[in-house]
Amino acid sequence: MIKQDLFESIKEHVVEMEEDKVIELCEKSLENNIPAIETINQGLIRGMDEVSKLYEEEEYFLPEILMCSDAMNSGLEVVKPHLDKSSMVDPIKVVIGVVEGDTHDIGKNLVRILMEASGMEVYDLGRDVPLNDFVEKAVEYDADIIVMSTLMSTTMDGMKTVIEKLESDNIRERFKVFVGGGPISQFFADKIGADIYTKDASEAVRIAKQVGRKVS
Amino acid sequence: MIEDNLSDRGLFELELSENILSENEFSEKGLSEKDRLISVLKGKSVDRPPVICPGGMMNAAVTEVVSSIEGNHNTEFEAMVKTAKRVREMTGFENYGVPFCMTAEVEPFGATVDYGDKCIEPRVTKYSDLDMELLSEIKLDVRNESRAGIVIDAIKALSNKDIPVIGNITGHISTASSVVDPNVFFKALIKNPMNSHKLLSHINKYLIDYAKYMIESGADVIAISDPTATGEILGERIFRAFALPYYKQFVDVLKPYNVPIIFHMCGKAFNVVEILDEAGFQALSFDSLVNMRQVKKRINSCLMGNVNTQTLNFENEVKIKKLTEVCIDSGVNIVSPACGLGMSTPMENIKAMTNFVKSFGDQDDKG
Repeated sequence: MIKQDLFESIKEHVVEMEEDKVIELCEKSLENNIPAIETINQGLIRGMDEVSKLYEEEEYFLPEILMCSDAMNSGLEVVKPHLDKSSMVDPIKVVIGVVEGDTHDIGKNLVRILMEASGMEVYDLGRDVPLNDFVEKAVEYDADIIVMSTLMSTTMDGMKTVIEKLESDNIRERFKVFVGGGPISQFFADKIGADIYTKDASEAVRIAKQVGRKVS
Repeated sequence: MIEDNLSDRGLFELELSENILSENEFSEKGLSEKDRLISVLKGKSVDRPPVICPGGMMNAAVTEVVSSIEGNHNTEFEAMVKTAKRVREMTGFENYGVPFCMTAEVEPFGATVDYGDKCIEPRVTKYSDLDMELLSEIKLDVRNESRAGIVIDAIKALSNKDIPVIGNITGHISTASSVVDPNVFFKALIKNPMNSHKLLSHINKYLIDYAKYMIESGADVIAISDPTATGEILGERIFRAFALPYYKQFVDVLKPYNVPIIFHMCGKAFNVVEILDEAGFQALSFDSLVNMRQVKKRINSCLMGNVNTQTLNFENEVKIKKLTEVCIDSGVNIVSPACGLGMSTPMENIKAMTNFVKSFGDQDDKG
């Protein structure tokens, strides 16, 4: 199988949620001495790009995305140990979590999956995350972006508390703060001084790619 | 987007006045809050829309209401009853509704729950240790469950002639995804549909038993919230396969009780509105993201909603009145908040909404 066909096939099987097939093809890529970075970028990530597109077009929804993401990650596990580290650029680093008081992490997981799929390094703090953890972990991992999500209007005020904490610690400028989730709006984001509000996961990823790099 | 709906007020007034002329069975004074709500839910015409906040996920037990209540209103009988009464007295909502959370259903299936306090609502902190197959076989009787028992006792204590008591239930999809890690659950819907159906059917049976128990204890209306089932998350195909059949079952089994059921769905639910309508609920309630005027044309059930909860939390009375008016104009039969209220929502804002709806009836009478 020539290289391009193999990539195309990996891409298709990611989209078709066929995890076993993706693993098999990624193993094949190693047997054929294809550089891991090419398999990742041209096969696996292109597959997830297509999945994001299908999500935006409302063809795919969360269950499908979770399945595709599993297929991609299984493929990644196969080729990752063979990555030539020098071929990698520093990824955008993201700290993400659902704010304290809320355990709905579906939207957050979706953003995490799509961000990982586009090559970002994502530290998932989980759900019901104590507000201080956002600040502490962002500093610890030297993150570029902090993403806070909530599905409940009852807990959205927590996002403001995090931003205030960043301000009082004099580190607000070091991070781009993203907020999202059911009850969140541009109005609310402006009001609490967040940098970015996005209405859905794919928009979050698109904008993260644009603004994620630190100006240093 | 909702703001577009201002111009249709005339139509609603016309409908109302026609109805009042043709069906002269109610007078303003004679119509209790219960009569009004039940009549609307049974498709009859009334003087003005009721304004309610059912409870459960959509509850008005905000900090200002519960701060002076002794004990935890989510877990203690007396505190729950007192809170339900105080919600109505302070906010002007025309119902009692218990409980004030979505966790009573998930505990029996082994999820760990934090019971919340006066500022934060109860929530699931850990999923069940059992896998989906074992969960489908777990033997449960709602009549032996202690938290369900507290809700039931509260319903009995609240039950009365004039004010409708609403028993609140978490839908089967949200219950399942609170018991099983949603990452596992959602994939199972695709990977293992048989197992998924087995679990959902087991959960739904429990929820239906719970609803029956509520009705037998005096609930006048059942309200189901199933935020996780929203079309935005599941998509049409999976919604039709895994959500709709269980809602239909709920409606069918409870039909002999002749108690109306309200169903609330969060998020951008536009893609599943018609499918949901097939379930046969008496009223559907949607989030503020959903354009009610468009939905109204597409469904047979009554429409409930959908005053934006952010507006209620952060804006002023003028804006809230205007938004409430927009809601009524867009054809809702029952006015309610669009989703769960923020715990910090100020009382005067909620009252701006309820008072406006009540005055709407007065103005209409005078006109």
